[in-house]
Amino acid sequence: MKKGIVVLIVAMLALITTGLWLFSSSGNLKPFDKVSFGIIILVVAFAFFVGYKRLASAKRGEPPEDELSKKVMQKTSALSYYISLYLWLAIMYFSDRLDYETHTVIGAGILGMAVVFAVCWMVFNFTGVRNE
Amino acid sequence: MNNRIKEFRARYSLTQEDLAKKVNVRRETIVFLEKNKYNPSLKLAHDIAIVFDTRIEEIFIFE
Repeated sequence: MKKGIVVLIVAMLALITTGLWLFSSSGNLKPFDKVSFGIIILVVAFAFFVGYKRLASAKRGEPPEDELSKKVMQKTSALSYYISLYLWLAIMYFSDRLDYETHTVIGAGILGMAVVFAVCWMVFNFTGVRNE
Repeated sequence: MNNRIKEFRARYSLTQEDLAKKVNVRRETIVFLEKNKYNPSLKLAHDIAIVFDTRIEEIFIFE
């Protein structure tokens, strides 16, 4: 229950920060900023979904975490780490060819890792984990 | 590995949610077990066998 609330609060803070950033830029967003904004919204939506699932489980009197959810998280972490290595390799390759500032490239990498994690979690959560 | 959880659940008139509460897991876990998309730990298999008052090998069929 507590973890679910924490996830929702963090997602809310991320959404507020992104909103402030969007408000302060007063509509002068570059295409890269728009893509970043879209990805942040996706990641926040994922966090809301996870938080809601946990709270719904707690409301039904079920544990928010059990052996399957732990296994899904374990598999997700392993696969997303593996994919993230290739993501950073691709970012390193393209950063030499594209003219972006260092903090922009690192930000893109971190957002990419968040998206990779969310996609992996979705795959394992909806297709199941077989121990075979 | 196949299992007969659905059959035993019907015999004992239990819903997936009831069984989930009895063995302290989420309902999704029971759904995945019944679809053979997840193989339970020995502890969970044991707990399910206790709920249905039978032996593990009666519920879980190893191929």
